[in-house]
Amino acid sequence: MDAAFLIESAVKVLIVLGFVLLGVPLIVWMERKVIGHMQDRIGPQRVGPFGLLQTIADGIKLFFKEDLIPGQADRVVFFLAPALSVITAFVALSVVPFGDKVTVFGRDVPLHVADVNVAILWVLGTTSMGVYGIVLGGWASNSKYPLLGGLRSSAQMISYELAQGISLVSVILMTGTLSLAGIVAQQEHMWFIVPQFFAFVIFLLCGIAETNRAPFDLPEAETELVAGFHTEYSSMKFALYFLAEYANMMVVSAVAISVFFGGWRGPFLPPVAWFLIKLSLFLFFFVWLRATFPRLRYDQLMAFGWKVLLPASLLNLAVTAVVVALTG
Amino acid sequence: MGEAILFTLFSLSAVAFALGMVFRRNAVHCALHLVGVLLSLSGMFVLLHAQFIAAIQILVYAGAIMVLFLFVVMLLNVKGETPLLTPGAAKGFGFFFAFIAFVELLWIVVSQGGTEGEPAPVPALPPNFGSPAEIGKILYTTWLFPFEVTSILLMIAVVGAVVLAKRKFA
Amino acid sequence: MGSMGVPTEYYQLVAALLFTIGLIGVLVRRSALIIFMSIELMLNAVNLSFVAFSRQHGQMDGQIFVFFVMAVAAAEVAVGLAILVAIFRNRETASVDEVHLLKG
Repeated sequence: MDAAFLIESAVKVLIVLGFVLLGVPLIVWMERKVIGHMQDRIGPQRVGPFGLLQTIADGIKLFFKEDLIPGQADRVVFFLAPALSVITAFVALSVVPFGDKVTVFGRDVPLHVADVNVAILWVLGTTSMGVYGIVLGGWASNSKYPLLGGLRSSAQMISYELAQGISLVSVILMTGTLSLAGIVAQQEHMWFIVPQFFAFVIFLLCGIAETNRAPFDLPEAETELVAGFHTEYSSMKFALYFLAEYANMMVVSAVAISVFFGGWRGPFLPPVAWFLIKLSLFLFFFVWLRATFPRLRYDQLMAFGWKVLLPASLLNLAVTAVVVALTG
Repeated sequence: MGEAILFTLFSLSAVAFALGMVFRRNAVHCALHLVGVLLSLSGMFVLLHAQFIAAIQILVYAGAIMVLFLFVVMLLNVKGETPLLTPGAAKGFGFFFAFIAFVELLWIVVSQGGTEGEPAPVPALPPNFGSPAEIGKILYTTWLFPFEVTSILLMIAVVGAVVLAKRKFA
Repeated sequence: MGSMGVPTEYYQLVAALLFTIGLIGVLVRRSALIIFMSIELMLNAVNLSFVAFSRQHGQMDGQIFVFFVMAVAAAEVAVGLAILVAIFRNRETASVDEVHLLKG
């Protein structure tokens, strides 16, 4: 616990925070541009080259908007909820390795904020804490649609968490470690997507549901719930929810990359570049889904989670366990 | 030094949140305070070399059990109780017995400690103490039978909850 | 390294405090929901005690116990909340003072 270690950790924390804060406007821009082209429009193009600064402009606009708080709202919880959303997304990223060791001033610096031996449990735990941001936001607004959105999201996220956790367990069975850095280290010869393809599909579906992205965006279904849990939110608090949603997409993508796609591993290019390339591809996939699929009905969503994904993940786990037991 | 500072921080927040939980009127606030207690305890578990338990605490307790609590609180939309505490002599008895229990616990803690008022020294532990691998080793050897019984218990709970929630009361 | 850490007694003290606060909640609050939460608090105080003793004795059996306590707590919450929902459906109340049909 020397000073160099503290400085090193602080710098890495700042890098990750800065990366997310700079990355989110880029993702939003990418989403608008991509969806625009998929719908035969051109998307944002006025502000900055290719409309790149559009999101920044929107952010500044949100910053100067009036901050409305409903009269009957629970003020403390109303403030707390969006902050919780963002914080849980950020702390989940702290265990994701985004590159190989680098040597700075003669020190070997591993490129992740913390390599804990319970990393996967940490990620699952923080994402399950993320539910609070949405549920409390919906409840504190003291308004019908947000409450419905909040209740929906709590039911949805608990349901999909199960299958998500179990799909990761089958990978843990193969690696014998819960550390993300350890899992990445074992993918030198083969990415785990090859033996664990079904686990990956289940994980990704659950990840989309956990981040409330289309086609699982029931908590904010605008055609039935106005805007769901954040109907009453405006200004910076709304911006925080927005930030949290995209930061959560990054978390799911980063975990999927680390567990199934070899993390930062790849030929020729430096490790960090590979990580960023894989991350961008994942985020593109998220946007692509949103542009392609209509939203599920609520009962379909719950039935899909409990009657399809959960049994499938359990089956996958059982098969993996048998194979691991037989082969060694 | 670091452990002492963090211990003070976590214990103060745990006790403060616990008091808030017991004496707040709004059930949602109570649940949130309990989440605060659980997170503080999770921090203490890390200090006590129980990383796996700390992670499970966040994942299972704070992330699943308390969400269920919140869900039910919001679903039932229970009005705040008036009066907050149970009325009459029962309240006095409650505080009195709680106080006696605390004195007893205190006496046990003080009397069972190390020799002559000095706290017992903290033993040095192997670095992988409390890691998932070590927990798994004894969980699936020494404690295998209780572990299997737990699965039956959970199954019974699931069935019971479904039966209770599904039944239509006349 | 031996005596550097915070002594186990301090952890026990915090556990005792939390347990007592939980006990107060069970004894003096009227809402069944809050009583339920107070029970969870007491369970957690005991968990802290288990983990502290586990470190003191250098054995992980205490941590295993916490694991089992959590499993029991999860089962208990599922059934308990189902009972509460059933009571609330029938009688529109969550106060333990008003659920006294078995009293003569």
